[in-house]
Amino acid sequence: MSKINFHPDHSHLLAFATGEGQPGTNLMVSAHLDLCPMCREKVREIEAQQAHSEIEIAALDMMPGNYAAMLNSIMAKPLVADDVIGASYPKTIELDGRHFALPRTLQRYVHKTGNWSRLVGKLWQAPVDLGGVGSAHFIYMEKGGRVPEHTHRGSELTLVLDGEFSDGLNHYETGDMTFLDGRHQHTPMSDADEGCLVFSLVDKPLHFTSGLARLLNPFSHLFMK
Amino acid sequence: MLVGLPLDNQTSATMSADENDKLCHWLNVVANDRCRQSFTRLFNHFAPRLRSYALKQFGNEAQAMELVQDTMTNVWQKAYLFNADKGAASTWIFTIARNIRFDMLRKQQSRKEDICSEDLWPVLFEQTADPKALSMEHNITLEQVEQYFESLPQKQKDVLEAIYFEGKSQQEVADELGVPLGTVKSRTRLGLQRLKEMLNEQD
Ligand SMILES: [Zn+2]
Repeated sequence: MSKINFHPDHSHLLAFATGEGQPGTNLMVSAHLDLCPMCREKVREIEAQQAHSEIEIAALDMMPGNYAAMLNSIMAKPLVADDVIGASYPKTIELDGRHFALPRTLQRYVHKTGNWSRLVGKLWQAPVDLGGVGSAHFIYMEKGGRVPEHTHRGSELTLVLDGEFSDGLNHYETGDMTFLDGRHQHTPMSDADEGCLVFSLVDKPLHFTSGLARLLNPFSHLFMK
Repeated sequence: MLVGLPLDNQTSATMSADENDKLCHWLNVVANDRCRQSFTRLFNHFAPRLRSYALKQFGNEAQAMELVQDTMTNVWQKAYLFNADKGAASTWIFTIARNIRFDMLRKQQSRKEDICSEDLWPVLFEQTADPKALSMEHNITLEQVEQYFESLPQKQKDVLEAIYFEGKSQQEVADELGVPLGTVKSRTRLGLQRLKEMLNEQD
């Protein structure tokens, strides 16, 4: 696997590890962790620190909880059989006969992914229904495929799942995760022969900044719903 | 609750290794022998600590005790999933509590999204998903927009082109065409409206 250069920052990892982060952002971080041993290790450390400060050295007051009854009711419960383990999800997503391996976190959403459709030129997208957290898509850029230049009214999180792309700001490879907001204006495109598959989450419709694409702005809620 | 700075390692190290060994031992005995005495010890150690954590999170006694109960129930039923090589006993129990807190908040806020704790943190095991119908979305290609655009009356096209392609203001367009600002505004509105109708009909 290629070397990952773009990681979630510490605040994202902390918000993930404590459970405080936005669900959509947490999902992205989780998918990145599937690909990135370095961030997994960082999260493990944060969890240990949190366990220490929140649990180990917690201030214990003298208030008598109704613990005895709780303890007994718990121990009256049977063991859980293992047969619920391993609901199996598809491990890959298919486009035009090609199968792309997905990180564990995203496998559960293959069933919630709509049909691929051509967006513009060499760009394909398939919507993913996360049930109301922003707007999620698998986006595939063929070689030379390009997303019209746009800024973001909200934030845009992108995780590279296969291949590589550039956006005029940086070059991204498999496993890289980027976080962009309204301050950034960029034109993602892929020059890789095998193209590039990304998972993208935007919390508000994109804002196109150039040419014909600007016509889409009044309709971008339709376009990127 | 966000902590501004990560604790330094020395602070973490103050929990004695002996203490952790003892907790790990109890977990193992619960896993292997369903030992009620060991579980009672674990419970006495962790329940008040979890309550303190939960009170901070929820601010009320009922929900705090629900979190304590659910967390310790998982410890009782799934102690065999604990792996001492992966981290301290208290870290494992913290991650269970964090997951339960996440799902409790999700229920409480009746959030629509379908992301549950096990998707994010597979501390225990994968849960069965309820398969939902594929969602179909309609999408518009730039080529289609271009076609629709071409079918607009010339006067509307000129205005939209100047505004959207050349980036001019409505006032600039009015000056250039020698028409009142109101006319530019209404051509823009009519043109966009027509485009919208065509896009909607596409459904
Ligand atoms: Zn990373």
